[in-house]
Amino acid sequence: MSDGLVEVKPDDAFENGDREFVRVDGTEVGVLQVEGEYYALQNYCLHDGGPVCEGKTHRKLLGEFTEPGKRVERTYTDEECVVSCPWHGWSYDIETGDHLGNGDLSLPTYEVVVEDGVVYVGDLKQP
Amino acid sequence: MSQPDTESRRADDLDSYHVIDCDCHYMESFTDVAEYMDEPWKTKFEGSNFDEKGAKQNLSSFFPFSTGDRQAHGKITREHSSYPDSPETPERIREGMSSIGVDETLLISHLILAGAGTTADDTRQSAFAKAYVEYMSEEVLDPDDGIYGLAPIPYADIDASLEILDRIEGSEAYAGACFVTAGATPPLGNRKYDPLYERCEDMGLPAVFHTGGAGLDEYVRGGYQEMLETHTLGFLESNMSQIVSLVVQGVPEKFPDLDVAFMESGVTYLPSLITRLDEEYLKRPEEAPLLEKEPGKYITDFYYGTQPLEVSADPEFLEKCVDMVGPEQLMYASDYPHWDYDRPTTVIDLPFLSEEEKRGILSENAAEVFGL
Ligand code: FES
Repeated sequence: MSDGLVEVKPDDAFENGDREFVRVDGTEVGVLQVEGEYYALQNYCLHDGGPVCEGKTHRKLLGEFTEPGKRVERTYTDEECVVSCPWHGWSYDIETGDHLGNGDLSLPTYEVVVEDGVVYVGDLKQP
Repeated sequence: MSQPDTESRRADDLDSYHVIDCDCHYMESFTDVAEYMDEPWKTKFEGSNFDEKGAKQNLSSFFPFSTGDRQAHGKITREHSSYPDSPETPERIREGMSSIGVDETLLISHLILAGAGTTADDTRQSAFAKAYVEYMSEEVLDPDDGIYGLAPIPYADIDASLEILDRIEGSEAYAGACFVTAGATPPLGNRKYDPLYERCEDMGLPAVFHTGGAGLDEYVRGGYQEMLETHTLGFLESNMSQIVSLVVQGVPEKFPDLDVAFMESGVTYLPSLITRLDEEYLKRPEEAPLLEKEPGKYITDFYYGTQPLEVSADPEFLEKCVDMVGPEQLMYASDYPHWDYDRPTTVIDLPFLSEEEKRGILSENAAEVFGL
């Protein structure tokens, strides 16, 4: 194991929807288990510092224009892929950290590794 | 400041630019348009007790039931137009154009502005718009002489609107389709209007959204007492409503080749609308799922008529506004002969524009958008 890993907690202690918070190089990082996958994001919203990783995780609403005059078809993605900040609703792709409305705004995300049954936060992912 | 040239009143400045006016108002006469109406409207119209141009200005001056007094109770007069006292004529239009240094002009219907947003009955607007299209093309429009028209679209009646678009297809005289933004309910981003945008896009016909709804009793709430109040607010409200609706409902994504222009609200409202909508969108992006970029970026893809340009504003502020919208999106518009019309000198005088930008705004941008 490289020294850069920060221990979170045992894999089998995580339940779907759980969030844990650790410090990585002075920054609070939220670690979330969503539908069996781990994600780690900076827990400091780019809008105004809200605790974004405490927010709702949810599916993404997609719109499809099928034909002039017809309602835009709105469907949800199959998977929960968004985390939204509880303060004002800024919504980020949970994997990339990109704001859904403006990809120039990207919340820093981190690697998550599971080693010997323990979940760790690894390096900051490079955009 | 150099000696004012009271003789020419800046004719030299005007002569040095080719000018296309994207928004000149033709005050058609009810009597003339009635000639071209279908029955039963022809008979009804001719028999109604209208003054030939409709409700008389002097009546609405006192009881401001529809407009308030546009001419500020006799203060404002027009030497080269018959407005507001009698209907316009093709000769007077040429006279007006030359008096303000305009070489080519796009005329919109004066009467439709008041009627488009009425919701009680959509057949009247359709009857009027169809007759207007015939009347103008028979008697007024003259593309060889630079006089073009915008066809009024009675959007509450989709079939009639499509008939008008069919009617003007291939006509050189009609350079665009005109949607009056006041009163459109549901707002113009609603899917029910899709067939109109689809058709305009296919025809390569720009959709020109012209504001309205600034009269004392047309404004969204009653109780204002002065035209100064409702005229300041009403035009912005009407345009902003439709800009927001078009963008949020994804019209520019549905019809990416449709050219969209908004008329008659100046430019300084746009930066505030852009920034406010973008701010909201970051908090509720899921409500505009068709958008591929921030809403403000669609707003700056639209074109805008310049009038009434806020020339008295701090030049630095105005420059920033023009910059945000993009000088290549602006097109000179006079609104002649209305009380607050702009002469091309309002653009020529802007200290922060390059010569190239001035030429673009005064004619080249419009020439491209309208295919003139
Ligand atoms: S602080 Fe996160 S949305 Fe405002």
